[in-house]
Amino acid sequence: MNAPANRRRWRFRKESFLPYLMVAPAMAFLGLFTFYPMANLVYLSFFDYNLVNPVKKYVGLRNYQTMFFIRRDFMIALKNTAVYTLAVVACLITLSLLCALWFQKDTRLNRFAQTAMFTPHLIAMLSCAMIWSWIMDQNSYGLLNAVLELFKIPPLRWLNSSQTAMLSVVIVSVWKSIGYYALVIMSALKSIPVEIYEAAELDNTPKWRVFFRLTLPLLSPQLFFLLIVITINSFKVFDTIRVMTNGGPGSSTDVLAYYIYRYAFQHFKIGYASAAGTVLMVILMILTALYFAVLGRKVHYQ
Amino acid sequence: MAKIEFRNVCKYFGDTKVIENLNLTIEDGKFTVLVGASGCGKTTLLRMIAGIGPATSGQILLDGEDITDVPPGKRGIAMVFQNYALYPTMTVRQNIEFGLKNNGVPKAERERLVAEVSEIVGLANLLDRKPSTLSGGQRQRVALARAMVKKPKVFLMDEPLSNLDAKLRAQMRVELIELHKRLKTTFVYVTHDQVEAMSMADKIVLMDNGVIQQEGTPEEIYNDPNNVFTAQFIGTPPMNMLLVDKSGTLVGFRPEKVSLAYENAEGFLKRKGTISTREMLGSETLYRVDLGDAYVMVKSFNDKFRPDEKVEIAVCEEDLCFFDPDGVRIRDSRIDGLLQRLATAGGDK
Repeated sequence: MNAPANRRRWRFRKESFLPYLMVAPAMAFLGLFTFYPMANLVYLSFFDYNLVNPVKKYVGLRNYQTMFFIRRDFMIALKNTAVYTLAVVACLITLSLLCALWFQKDTRLNRFAQTAMFTPHLIAMLSCAMIWSWIMDQNSYGLLNAVLELFKIPPLRWLNSSQTAMLSVVIVSVWKSIGYYALVIMSALKSIPVEIYEAAELDNTPKWRVFFRLTLPLLSPQLFFLLIVITINSFKVFDTIRVMTNGGPGSSTDVLAYYIYRYAFQHFKIGYASAAGTVLMVILMILTALYFAVLGRKVHYQ
Repeated sequence: MAKIEFRNVCKYFGDTKVIENLNLTIEDGKFTVLVGASGCGKTTLLRMIAGIGPATSGQILLDGEDITDVPPGKRGIAMVFQNYALYPTMTVRQNIEFGLKNNGVPKAERERLVAEVSEIVGLANLLDRKPSTLSGGQRQRVALARAMVKKPKVFLMDEPLSNLDAKLRAQMRVELIELHKRLKTTFVYVTHDQVEAMSMADKIVLMDNGVIQQEGTPEEIYNDPNNVFTAQFIGTPPMNMLLVDKSGTLVGFRPEKVSLAYENAEGFLKRKGTISTREMLGSETLYRVDLGDAYVMVKSFNDKFRPDEKVEIAVCEEDLCFFDPDGVRIRDSRIDGLLQRLATAGGDK
C-alpha cells in the first residue's frame, strides 16, 4: 500500500524536477556568459581599478560622480550617441521601408538592386569603414570629392570636419544595414494577403490611405522590432568610429562605446569604464521599456 | 439595373491560356452561380468583373457600357472574398464604413447605413470588435455587411461559404437567398460545390477548362444536360452512363430514376444485376449494382435490398439521355434508332 504512494511521490518529484534539468545547460551558459559579466560590470564600477595595478580599491559611487559632475566628456559622448542613434534610426526605418515598397514589384532591375543593397551586409563592418575612409577622403582622390569635382562643387571635408564627421558615420551605417532591414520589411510585406489590397481597391481607397491605414499598421510588429534593434545597435556603435574618426575631430564623434574603450584600453581605468558601461546598459534598458510602454499598445499583432 | 456581358474575352497567365473567346451574359437581378472544378476559370471571370484581374483581350460590359478601363472602386461593385479579406487592423465598424469614407459619405449618413446593415446581418453588438476576435461565421457577416453597405449594382462572391462548417454553411445559404430576394440586385456567385449552385442559383453557368459547358436554371442543368460533363458534374451520385454500342455512344440516367426490384421491374431499359454495396443515407438508400459489364448507382426509397442479392433495374424511356462519342447530347432523330437498339439488347439479357 505504501509502495504506489511512494512511487507517485517519486514521479511527482521527478516531473517537477525534470523541466529544470532540461533547461539547466542553457541557463548555465546564460548565467556564465551573460548574467555574471553583467553583474561583474556593475560590481567593478564601484572600484578604482586599473590594469597596471592589480589592487582594486573600493570607491563607492565616486566613478559615477566623476563621470557626471567632474568630467564633461561623458555628457558629450552621450549627446553624440543620442544624435547618432536618432539619425540612424530615422534614416534606416524610413529608407528601408521605402526600399522594401520599391522592391515589391518583382522586376529584374529590382532583383538586382535588392542583391546590390544586401551585399554590404555581408562585408565586415571594419572593411566597410576602411572603404568609406577612402571614399570620403578629403583629398581629391577620395571618391565622393572626385564626383563633386565633376559637378564643379567644392570638395567637402567629410570625416575631417567636426560639422560633417557625424553625418559621414551615419551614412556608412545606413548604407551597410539598409539592405538587411529592407529584407526584413519585405518579408513582412509579402505576408500581407493580396486580397486585403484588392478589397481596398474595390472600396475605392486612395493609395496614401492604403499605405497609412493598412500597410503601415500591418507592418507595425516588424517596424517596432526594428526600432528596438536599431536603437540598441546604434547606441553601441564602435567599429566605424574606431576606424574612421577615432572619436574626432575634437570630440565630435565620441560615442559611448568608444568612450568606454578609450578609458578601458587607453587609460586603463577599468573601474571608470565599467561605470560608463553600466550607464550605457541602464539607458538601453530604460529606452526599451519606454518603447514598450509608449508604442507597444499601438502595435498590431495578428 | 445591372446586366454584365462578356464579349470575346480571353485571359492568359503568362503563356497559359485560362479562358479563350468566352461570351456570356449575366442577367440583371438574377442570382447567377458560376460553378466548376478548381482551375476552370470561374474565379478568373469574377475577378474580371471586379476589375482586379483584367482580361487579356475582349470586352466586359456593365449595363451596355464598356468597363474594361474603369478602376475597381468606380464600378459600383462589391465583392466577398473566400478568406473574407477583412482589414485586420480595423474594428468591425471601421471595416464596414471604410468604403463609404473613401467615397466621401458624411458621418451621419455613414452611421445610419452601418447601423442599418449591421442590424440586417446581426452584427449590431460586435461593431467595436476586431476581426481576429470573431468566429468564422461572424467574419463572413462582416464581409457581407461591408459589401452591402455600399449598395452596389452587383454583388460578387468568391466561394464565400467554403470556410464555414457544414451546419453554418446550410444556414448562410438560406440567408444569402433571402438577402438576394430583399436586395433584388445582381448576384454573381462562384463555387465548386454543386449543392450550393443548385440550391441558390436562378441560373447556373457550368464551366470546365475555361469553356462554358452549359447555362441554365438548376432544373434545366439537372434534368436536361447538354453533355456528359454536365451530366456527371451535377448530381450526387452523378448520372449513370452505359455504352449503347461499340462506337462509344452513351445512354445516361439519374440514379433516382431507376426502379429496383427482385424481378420484373417496371420500365423501358431493363438490366439484371447484383447489389454490390449499400449505403443507407436516411430517407434514401444508395445501391451500387453490378451489371457484369458496368456498374450503376441506384437511389431508392426502398432500403430492403442487401448486398449480393440478385436484382433487376429498369428505367423509363423519358428518363434516358443519349450522348454521342464526343460527349455531346443527342437530341435529333437518331434517338429512335438508339432506343430500338436498347430495347433489343435488353431483351437479350
